Amino acid sequence: MPQKNILEMKGITIQFPGVKALDGVDFSLREGEIHSLLGENGAGKSTLIKCLTGVNRMDEGQILLDGREIRPSGPSQAMELGISTVFQEVNLCPNLSVAENIFVGRQPMKHGQINWREINSRAEELMSRFHLNIDVTRPLSYYSTAIQQMTSIARAVDVKAKILILDEPTSSLDENEVQLLFNVMRELRANGMGIIFITHFLDQIYAVSDRMTILRNGHLIGTYGINELGKVELVTKMVGKDMDVIFNLKRAEVPGDADYMLKAEHIGDASHVKDISITLKKGELVGFAGLLGSGRTETAEMLFGASRTVKGEIFVDGESITLRQPFDAIKARIAFCPEDRKRDGIIGDLSIRENIMLAVQSRKGFMHPMTKQEQTELADKYIKLLGIATPDCEKKAGELSGGNQQKVILARWMAAEPKILILDEPTRGIDIGAKAEIQRLMLEMCGEGVSVIFISSELDEIIRCSNRIIIMRDREKVAEVDGSSCTQQDILKIIAEGAA
Amino acid sequence: MTNNRQSILSKLTNPKYIMVYATIGIFFVIYAFGAFMYGDKGFMTVRTFVNLFIDNAYFGISAVGMTMVLITGGIDLSVGAVASLTGMFIAYGTTVLGLHPMTCIFAALVMGVGLGLLMGWVIHYLNVPPFITTLTGMFFARGVCSLISRESIDIHHPMIDALAGWKIYLMKYSAGHWVRIRPIAFINFNVILFVVMIIAGTFILQRTRFGRNIYAIGGNEQSASLMGLPVGRTKVLVYGFNGLCSVLAGISYALYVKSGWNLSLQGGELEVITCAVIGGTLLTGGVGYMIGTLFGVLLKSVIPALITFNGNLLSWWGKIATGGLLLLFICIQRFVVTSSARKK
Repeated sequence: MPQKNILEMKGITIQFPGVKALDGVDFSLREGEIHSLLGENGAGKSTLIKCLTGVNRMDEGQILLDGREIRPSGPSQAMELGISTVFQEVNLCPNLSVAENIFVGRQPMKHGQINWREINSRAEELMSRFHLNIDVTRPLSYYSTAIQQMTSIARAVDVKAKILILDEPTSSLDENEVQLLFNVMRELRANGMGIIFITHFLDQIYAVSDRMTILRNGHLIGTYGINELGKVELVTKMVGKDMDVIFNLKRAEVPGDADYMLKAEHIGDASHVKDISITLKKGELVGFAGLLGSGRTETAEMLFGASRTVKGEIFVDGESITLRQPFDAIKARIAFCPEDRKRDGIIGDLSIRENIMLAVQSRKGFMHPMTKQEQTELADKYIKLLGIATPDCEKKAGELSGGNQQKVILARWMAAEPKILILDEPTRGIDIGAKAEIQRLMLEMCGEGVSVIFISSELDEIIRCSNRIIIMRDREKVAEVDGSSCTQQDILKIIAEGAA
Repeated sequence: MTNNRQSILSKLTNPKYIMVYATIGIFFVIYAFGAFMYGDKGFMTVRTFVNLFIDNAYFGISAVGMTMVLITGGIDLSVGAVASLTGMFIAYGTTVLGLHPMTCIFAALVMGVGLGLLMGWVIHYLNVPPFITTLTGMFFARGVCSLISRESIDIHHPMIDALAGWKIYLMKYSAGHWVRIRPIAFINFNVILFVVMIIAGTFILQRTRFGRNIYAIGGNEQSASLMGLPVGRTKVLVYGFNGLCSVLAGISYALYVKSGWNLSLQGGELEVITCAVIGGTLLTGGVGYMIGTLFGVLLKSVIPALITFNGNLLSWWGKIATGGLLLLFICIQRFVVTSSARKK
């Protein structure tokens, strides 16, 4: 049964300085459909969405909504037309209550005043549709990211939207919350809403979508029904090259008598982590598995001196050291890529060159400045080595895509020539091609004798890369397994049941 | 379904009210201290309490607008100068030019609101930091004051005299008659204007979309604009409204001192900001309540009152105590902000 097209975008072309972000892309969305939009970072997904919501002006092309041509001038006009967007980062106001975040800007009024009673009861009703029975009058900042995400979806849904755009909504949700979200999406689909779904989790695409459209380098590769294309074919079309690279990664080889690079014995911090012991050999890659909040990040922060270790002892290269602040760790040649790269890692206003040389300079001390030429050489070397997509090293780091930003952070620490590298979710929110690159780089560094701690929520990549895997649960280390002989099921079981 | 929203306890323990509770709590602690120490000298009388309003109404009126500006995450340093300029308009206009006070007030309103709107426009559309923009506004207004006159000008006009002298005595019912309470206590036009502005401010902040947009902008300006809220218009209007409050504060001050002087209310903007901050308004924006600001004004004014009652202390102790309070509140705010951030 052919359904009616609710949205048609024809021949969309957007020119950015020096690059065609979109080149004659066609896209259509049917009524009551979940349509996945796929592509690597920089493929033009975000640009297409921004064009639809009026953030970017298109140079050529046409957008038809219900057969009528539209040219939204900005997100608010797009919203009036019935196009709502939920972004990856929660774009709400943390100081307002959950209920108010849903309704601000279009509060129900009564006698010329805001009707708080109605706002709160309608918000409660909306949230309970998502099976969340929470106090909607509390400020948003009081709740977890997942609930904040649900709030922004509730906001988008409550505007009488015809089209809902979900831009990476699942990257900060756990499995149950994802299922919850999918149920909500299916319910909205049943009510005739068209949903554009952007994610980098392939399984989720197959779980929930009806059709998918693939973009690559600003070009349309094609639109397919969900059953027309298998996973491998899909990835090949997205990346445009053979996927052997990804699936043929080899674990680092660690000789049995390799020296211990890092030993942490019974360490704990003031509040989160009770008692953890870790060993890490030279050239070894140890994975940290566990759910969000299991203490993975807190442990990493202790090892980097970003949070205070109150008990236990840390040995680096056989010597006991005290890590009071990150500077101590940098001196001991420990490097740390934090989880939230926008907040803790990348300095968006500085150029790529400046971002890369930060750690090197910090280790050398400000008394020994590097010349501009040395810096440029260093930056260019890593841009080439890591394949950072940029015209030159003077581009602002904040203007790069997520995957490229991650590579810049990686370059920063590689340039500092660390002995121990701690990577907290380095592949989060980046596409599969860039992910494979990052994994390959990690393993290459292991080959050069760097010891790596790799934290990730995605078990398949942990298993693929790690020599040993430390499994954390409720802020404790519950098990340590061998990377080459365990399966996802084993790990999931340990995470779920806590038994080794 | 468990309906935890309607539980009054849950409503009252909502973390967003912590700062307001702190202000009200500290005010009562200090007031109780005063009552304990100087109760015999008349600290506990209605008069003492009402005088807190009378002597600080002009700060309070200005603090209403300042609270809104601070909630958006901005700041306005021009309020003292604009209020002073209002006083000059009235004094010079009535005494030297012989104009009717209403004409002068109208001119002051046009000047104050216009300057506010202009500053708001510069802040939002030219993306100039509020601190710099309003500093410029402050120098401008102060400069115009001195341009008009460098001498203090007394205000003599029947209407101003009537308005300044108008008062309602507080009465009590005793032995079948309404009698004035002793010691005599009254409220005047300034007190009424102050209370009306606080109520109007509360209504705007809590009951209108404009008010809620102010909070949203303070919470996260980028999000607010992505949510489709009229960020630019709201910010411009907030500075305009603050201009209005500055002019009203200027009128109130003129009624209080019955003169205009080019150097009056110097540093007044900082006093006003202090009132708002010890009233629980976050300097980083997004949080603040009018009721908090009301108590902030009372808290700031109860300290000089205590010093007066003591009689032996130099009045500079008042400044030191106010500084201490400000520090205390900024520390509490820091603590509240970091502890709520940790919960995430």
